[in-house]
This record gives sequence, C-alpha cells and structure tokens, in this order.
Amino acid sequence: MATHLEITESLKTFTDNYSKNERLKIMNRDWDRVVLIKATDIESIHTLTLKDGVLSLNEGASGAPDLTVVSDSETLADVFYGDINPTEPYNNGTLRVMGSEDDITRLDFIILMIWGE
Amino acid sequence: MKRVVSVSLGSSSRDHKVVVDLLGEEIEIARRGTDGDFDRALEMLGELDGKVDAIGLGGIDVYLFVRQKRYAIRDGLKLMEAVKNTPVVDGSGLKNTLEREVVRVLAEETGLLKKGVRVLMVSSVDRFGMAEALSEMGCDVTYGDLIFTAGIPYAIKTVEELEEIANRILPEIIKMPFHMIYPTGKKQESQDEDKVRKFARFYHDAEVIAGDFHLIRRFMPAEMDSQTILTNTTTWNDIDFLRQKGAGALVTTTPEYEGRSFGTNVMEAALVAMLGKQLSEITAEDYLDLLGRLKFKPRILYFKT
Repeated sequence: MATHLEITESLKTFTDNYSKNERLKIMNRDWDRVVLIKATDIESIHTLTLKDGVLSLNEGASGAPDLTVVSDSETLADVFYGDINPTEPYNNGTLRVMGSEDDITRLDFIILMIWGE
Repeated sequence: MKRVVSVSLGSSSRDHKVVVDLLGEEIEIARRGTDGDFDRALEMLGELDGKVDAIGLGGIDVYLFVRQKRYAIRDGLKLMEAVKNTPVVDGSGLKNTLEREVVRVLAEETGLLKKGVRVLMVSSVDRFGMAEALSEMGCDVTYGDLIFTAGIPYAIKTVEELEEIANRILPEIIKMPFHMIYPTGKKQESQDEDKVRKFARFYHDAEVIAGDFHLIRRFMPAEMDSQTILTNTTTWNDIDFLRQKGAGALVTTTPEYEGRSFGTNVMEAALVAMLGKQLSEITAEDYLDLLGRLKFKPRILYFKT
C-alpha cells in the first residue's frame, strides 16, 4: 500500500516530466480537462488540471472532473511514477477510468508519451 | 476451385462474394463481416478452419511494422490463433510490398504523386511501407496517427519522428481493446462529426489523402477540393460518398472486382492460396513476382475533369 504522500510525489514527478516535454504541451493546447485521481484503499484525492497545454497538480478535489481515475494506492503511485504502464491494470480492471472513451484514449496516449519505452 | 474467406470485424453490409480467374485458376473470394462482434468472428474462424484454402482477417490489423520492428495487436493475435490449420493473414505482408509499388507506379505513370505534393496519411503505422515510400519520393507528408487515432491535433512531419513516437507508444497500444484505437462495426458507417469539424483543415490542406479507408471516411469533411484519395477496400457507396464530398480521384491499391476493391487481407489470402506454400516460406519477392504475373495495377477513378 502506498501513502497519500507517495501518490502526491508520483503525481509531482508525472507533472514535472510533462512540463519538461515541450512537444506534449503543444499537443495538448486544445485539450482543457480536469482529471480526478482517487485511491480506493486510503483517503487520497488529487486533481490534475490541464489548461492551454499546461498541467498543474492540486491535492483534493478541485472543479468538476472530466475524467476520474480510480485504483488502489500502490497502482496509482506505480502508474504515475512510470513504474508500470496503465494499459495492463486498465485491461484487468485494477485501474478504472471514468469519462468519455475519446478522453480515456487520449489520457492513455499522454501517459505513454511520458513513460513509454 | 480454391476458396478464400475474409472474416472482418467490420460491417456486414459490406459483405461480398465473387469468383475470379487468376492466371487460369478460379478462386472464390468471400468477405463476411461481424459488425464489430469479436466473439462471432472467433466462432466464424473456428468454423472455417480447415475448410477453406486461406483466411484473411479484416477490420483489424494483427501486425504493425515500424521499419524492421514488428508489433502484434493483442486482439488481432487472438483471432489469428483461433485458426489452427488454414493459413491466415491480415494483409500486412502484402501492404508492405504492394503499397510501396503503388507509390512508385503512381509517380512514374501518373501526375498524382510527385516531389512536394502535400499528402495526409490518416494512419501510417498500419502501412509503414507506403509512409516510407511517400517520404522517399520527397512528398510533403503529414502523418496523422496521433490526430485520428488519439484525437491529438499534432502533425507528425517526418518518418523519423513517426518511428520515434511509434516505438515509444506501440508496445502498450497493441494491448488496448482494438475498438478504442480503430472504428469497428457500425462506427464504420458513420462520421465523428466533432472531429470532422475539428480536423477538417488537415484534409483541406492536403492534395492527397492516403491510408485506411474507414479512417478516411470517418473524418472527411465536406467541400474537399478535388483531392486524390489513395486507399483500398472501397464499395460503390464509398465512391458516391467521395464524389459527394468533392474528392477528385480515387486510387485503390488492390484491383476491382464487380465494382469494389477488396482489402489487402483478402488479396493476400488469395495470393497465399495460389502460391500453395507454407506461410513461413512466403517472401516479399514471391508476392511481387505473383503480382507482376497477375499484372496488378492500382485502379484510378477520376471524379472530375
């Protein structure tokens, strides 16, 4: 089990890596979205906000989410640290993502653009 | 008479059967769609296994080639592995040879492709041979994989960047449910209106639109300006669709039989049936040699003068 702090650190790492990637910022200039990340086994909620290509992180809920990512704390930390790719836990139901199919696919591509091989 | 069947995840409204004479040999070619029903496709493949000479898998890719690297789409592999006795192909072997050849023929024998022509490839990793051939010819190519597969309006402009992005994301993308990355079943008969509007500029800016027809169709805006469409797997309805949208010409990489061009998977299955060799023994040269003897040429249909 990961702690809230570990999830926060993983999301900071993810946000930092996103912010260093100028190509990703260009890719997402058109995609303003609020992504809620919620752990199922501990009290831990974060919000990633993407606006004009810039990604920011807040602890807790902030704004109406377009996408909600739900999983156990360990999987969330692993995914956002880039230790595992999201596809496998998504396919086996460990990681659930609520939102439109288009948004889910796009979020998956973004994560892969950061952590892919 | 040899029998070849294509089992497709696409719409059953495109089903078709013809008997063709290829080098004096009669071959019955049939296409059976399952309207996106994966289990029905598995069932159909099981029924056909051992009873026909070759099977094509349509509406889904199994193998994606990025130069020498080959990626296998998990859902496609499941279908392929359901067939134990009959040779089964997805068209990727033929695409890699035939479509390079088509680009060469169009450049040498028509004015439709030449250096500097602006080409939009709606998807490239499913036909890397064509992507490379267009780039080598000096076309100004926009590789639209991120645009039309992921909805990310980012135009990839070089084969090198395409290769880098593909190698980064494909190892995971191939594990995704196929319907998340490609229109299957009824989606093939409709357009994604939001994205048609959002991405219209990519179509309007191009002189040639190339790639998978279902993707081309799903996102094509109105008021096209006589662009050439380079694709395959078109029916009479598709031709009407293109005419109404304002396309200028249609080039299909596979030959026409009774008003429609079959998918590369069907044609590859037909060639495999003719060659009568083990799949593992068939080379690109075998395909090229047979295509030469069959005098396969791209079909060109002009809509406007």
